[in-house]
Amino acid sequence: MTFTSWQFGVFAATVFAAYYLPALRSFQVQLLVVASLFFYGYGQPELLALLAVAVFGTYLFLVLALRNRKAWLPVGIAFNLALLAFFKYKLLFIDPASPSLVDFAPLDFLLKLPLPIGISFFVFHNISLLVDLTRQKAAPPTLAGVFLYIIFFPQLVSGPITRAEMFMPQIKPKYFADIPFVEAAKWILAGFFFKLYVANNLNEMTSYMSFPLYETLQTQDRWLLVFLYSYQIYADFFGYSAIAIGLGLLFGYRLPINFNLPYISTSFSEFWTRWHISLSTWLRTYLYVPLGGNRHGLWRTYLNLMIVMGLGGLWHGAGLSYLLWGLLHGLLLVLERPLLARLASIDFAVFRKARMTVVFLCVSMLWIFFKLPNFDHAVGYLAGMFTPSTNPNPTKMFYSLALLYSLPVMIQHLGFRPFEGRLRWAEPYLYGSMAALMYLEAGPETSFIYFQF
Amino acid sequence: MSAVRWLIKCGAAAAIVLIACGLATVRFGSGLQVPATTTRDGTLNALSRYLREPVPNVVLVGSSITFRLKEEYFTTRGLRNLALGGGSPVTGLEIVANQPRLPAAILVEANVLARPPDAALVERYSRGATELLFFRPVRAAVAAYEQRLRPPLTHEQVALDLRRLVGQPPSDFDNRIYVDRAQQQFNAEDPTYVAQLNAKRIEELIRIVEQRGARVFLFELPYAEPIEGSRSAAATREIIHAAFPEPNRWLSIEVNRSELRWADGVHLDERSAVIVAGAMERALASARTVK
Repeated sequence: MTFTSWQFGVFAATVFAAYYLPALRSFQVQLLVVASLFFYGYGQPELLALLAVAVFGTYLFLVLALRNRKAWLPVGIAFNLALLAFFKYKLLFIDPASPSLVDFAPLDFLLKLPLPIGISFFVFHNISLLVDLTRQKAAPPTLAGVFLYIIFFPQLVSGPITRAEMFMPQIKPKYFADIPFVEAAKWILAGFFFKLYVANNLNEMTSYMSFPLYETLQTQDRWLLVFLYSYQIYADFFGYSAIAIGLGLLFGYRLPINFNLPYISTSFSEFWTRWHISLSTWLRTYLYVPLGGNRHGLWRTYLNLMIVMGLGGLWHGAGLSYLLWGLLHGLLLVLERPLLARLASIDFAVFRKARMTVVFLCVSMLWIFFKLPNFDHAVGYLAGMFTPSTNPNPTKMFYSLALLYSLPVMIQHLGFRPFEGRLRWAEPYLYGSMAALMYLEAGPETSFIYFQF
Repeated sequence: MSAVRWLIKCGAAAAIVLIACGLATVRFGSGLQVPATTTRDGTLNALSRYLREPVPNVVLVGSSITFRLKEEYFTTRGLRNLALGGGSPVTGLEIVANQPRLPAAILVEANVLARPPDAALVERYSRGATELLFFRPVRAAVAAYEQRLRPPLTHEQVALDLRRLVGQPPSDFDNRIYVDRAQQQFNAEDPTYVAQLNAKRIEELIRIVEQRGARVFLFELPYAEPIEGSRSAAATREIIHAAFPEPNRWLSIEVNRSELRWADGVHLDERSAVIVAGAMERALASARTVK
């Protein structure tokens, strides 16, 4: 069940209506847990058992680690990483199409299970829960609270990855009168608009980046599509995160903001404080800092950056392209690190714009490894960006449409904020027009890009 | 501003935009609405246009191979190319057959029969009304801009350019890598089952439309040599010729093959498409004289 389906609309409205009934106030957490299980099991009921194993297992290790952190915390983390590794990386070693993979039937069944949607996200929630709560030495939370934190349906499939120490204190009775309706509506409308109008329409154009279609593209169109994909992946993931935040607010939970205009970053380190913020924060807190961060000298810092970004790449998928994407981002962070102080001291507008352009260009080029997880295809696409096209029947691109579909991302990043001043009265009308436009001009239905992770 | 007032204003703005676009559709129709950014868009455009405009004299139905034969390449007036990129010729033939009025001649491509007809498209375009409920302002604006920039051409407008193009030597584009890839694909697929179903359905549809006075001719567009000999092409040819053995059912496209080039071994390049379009017209003129 995706956020853009009518089934989800009915589901969310029903849960919302029941959630604030006075008679059910004592069961709000349980209601959200049941609703989240329904949401998750709607498409893949066979994977509900796995979700239950992940949550019960994590809860057990949490209780044990609260008694003896040193002994049980590593076991709990290893348990979750093993789950992630098994489901995410098994395809590197097996062919699921084979009639029988191993002689042991239960293992054969497990090996043939599809990649559970959202596993990368809920495993990170589990680890955050284990680390944060055992660090605080708090009393063990209720099982329902743990369930809710891990499987809360707005964030279950693609985040934002919420830290336990931020989410758990929010678990308390919620009241209808406390709902910030306008804020929730703005997040939800902006999210749907970016997904339906921007991302889904741009997806029609960037579908030509796939192999072998990209061979029909002219050289300049290959460049154009790289930038369009940059806008698309942002609009898609920002859209999802915005809807999740808006839905969270409707149920009384404030989820972390996941994006902060990433394409205006003037350095790669700044980019990672603006793009998929919840993942960057998670990696910094639970991987970079424990590895030693920047506390053990220059070379160790560089190594830590490369390890974190390489693993961050592999977190997205088991493939050479994802690993390379992460490592190249790591390399860019390493290369810019000694220059950052000097670059920051040159403070004039043109230079800042030039830095923004360089960062945007590099980040966009690296998205090619995301769009084309097959490494050979990605390299083929890149090579074609630097050689003249000879195809006698090139694909025609509509530059005017590309501009109109990309415009919302551009306007947002240009920092156009008319509604903070005298035009504040027009804000509801703009959001209303966006709602109409996303209905009228929605592109063909496609999954959220981050669902695959 | 209270939340309720904000939400009411927001809802009212959405409703006003939707009503305005609904009224615009009633006033202007939806003819301008979808620039073809993808194959699917192109298909919907072609079908909508077929239903919207007067019934043509001759219609071509086929796949992306026939799609390359642009209407302005033909001197025949009232010729419409309803070939659907990525689709089956049977889809177009079904839709044409389901219309209340038929063209005088229907030309059916017999190259690609391995794809089943698109039932959703057939259903949608056989109902007649395909107008959208709402005007889509962004697409309409871009479509208007594109039409202004590149208005549809007639044969008369491009005749000189086409003659110049045909007068040039054939392209020397090195397509070996693409031909090899296409050959592998054509050798890997077995079209037998679907092609037999399609051939049977074409037979039924021909009987229906010919009872209503239209004439139907089949045609095969040339492939590059290695593709002609591939498993899929050979099997398709055998099935369709077994279903339609009569020579007068076929347009005999006679061209000097050494003049033809394919971007990928399957789809003709522009110059070759112009040459083949000319040969088809000659074949059609000759076939229509045979009763």
